[in-house]
Amino acid sequence: MSSMLRVLSAERLKMSRSYMVLLMFISPILAFIIGLLSEVGDTPQPWIALLGSLSMLHAMLFMPIMSGIFAAFICRYEHAGGGWKQLLVLPVTRTGVYVAKFTVIALLLAMMQLLFLAAIVILGFIKGIHDPFPWDIFARSIIGGWVACLPLAALQLAVSLMWNSFAAPLALNVMLTIPNMLVINSATYGPYYPWAQPFLATLPGESTIYGNDPFGAFNLPFESLMITVVGSFIVFFTAGWLYFRRKEV
Amino acid sequence: MLLGLIRPSQGSIHLFGKDLKKEKLNILRKVGSLVEYPSNYGHLTAVQNLEAIRRILDVPKSRIDEVLDIVQLTKEAKRPVKGYSLGMKQRLGIASALLGSPELLILDEPTNGLDPAGIHEIRELIRSMPKQHGITVLVSSHLLSEVEQMAGTVGIIREGVMVFQDTIHNLQQQAAGGFQLKVSNPQEALQLIHAEGYSGELNKGALMLTKMSDQQIANVIKRLVDNHHDIYRVEENRKSLEDIFMQVIGQGGIL
Repeated sequence: MSSMLRVLSAERLKMSRSYMVLLMFISPILAFIIGLLSEVGDTPQPWIALLGSLSMLHAMLFMPIMSGIFAAFICRYEHAGGGWKQLLVLPVTRTGVYVAKFTVIALLLAMMQLLFLAAIVILGFIKGIHDPFPWDIFARSIIGGWVACLPLAALQLAVSLMWNSFAAPLALNVMLTIPNMLVINSATYGPYYPWAQPFLATLPGESTIYGNDPFGAFNLPFESLMITVVGSFIVFFTAGWLYFRRKEV
Repeated sequence: MLLGLIRPSQGSIHLFGKDLKKEKLNILRKVGSLVEYPSNYGHLTAVQNLEAIRRILDVPKSRIDEVLDIVQLTKEAKRPVKGYSLGMKQRLGIASALLGSPELLILDEPTNGLDPAGIHEIRELIRSMPKQHGITVLVSSHLLSEVEQMAGTVGIIREGVMVFQDTIHNLQQQAAGGFQLKVSNPQEALQLIHAEGYSGELNKGALMLTKMSDQQIANVIKRLVDNHHDIYRVEENRKSLEDIFMQVIGQGGIL
């Protein structure tokens, strides 16, 4: 455990002068711009409508893709020039290194989510939404979306560790993310497709909020989404961890 | 494998009398290493690179200045590492290996890809380690002349098997072959030498004598001169480490 914290502290230092941290601003800023241009006017629940319109891009595309980009970035320094060897000959356990790397990705995603939340709140003030801010719904969306990203981050970390390349894990990630647009509309496959979960978790129970007919996977209870998330997380995280422990560097 | 990067297919490794499998972290704490080429984070300065490792090793901050001083990088310490020459990166790599005050330093091809000045620099640095800091240094290299100048004890590994291990001094003793004499009349000279009780043979018109002491060689020459042989050359046939290496490797019968 202490080994993991020491690696974590070293990881933080390695990021200090890289541009990687800036990447987490991209999606919130884009969401902000889209929000400025969109009309939320007279909907009965303006905050929810705002969340709905901004989530399209953020939760459907950026969250899964950023999970992959962070994972690839975090392994890039080690892949470049035998860094794994240098890191692993230090008195650290492989598990410690693996968990530390994953924690960094999780933290970056969490920060991105907070920025996204901040973007919505600021937009709300600019648009003059006077309704009380629905903290409970937003907390579920932001935290749920974050949790739903973790399995993807785990898989991406695993493949980033495996492949000595920066682009290959990203290509895989994008390939798996693009079908989202179709999958989320499917009640059959949507609930089981890990890459769709961040989006589905960000828009919980939309049908109940709007009272319209449920379609696709949108109406699924939050809990069942989380089963897919937890299940895929366990599979991806364990696979990556077992692989990394045995990896010959 | 000594550092736990690769698992042995069989057998066990003991360092400092401890089993690597069971006490890997305790062992790694006492070992500093530089594997292949030095790796560092180019966007960070030397100090930050060392700090990243220091945080993992959990040693006092003052060690950073100490190791930078040892490898003489103090002046460049605040520059991003990507602007360093290979020699400087190598020195930084050694600095990071030294950071944890190791008892054993494992360096893999430390002079690889360096210019002659860099090689000299690193060699002096490595040679100073045992003397000044009491650190045992294990160097693996295929540059035999480098090994000859650096090492106290050498081992030769062929196809994963240690086929030779001894001090460099003993090795050089072995290497000191015989003497080669060029004389006016080799045939007669050879008979004379045999008559004196020394063994020798003729090779391309030169007398090849086996290893002998200074006194013996003086005696041989005196006898030859007394018998009116003209001596053109007396040469010592010293085998280089490379020859010995080839000989040791060749004994495996693979070549």
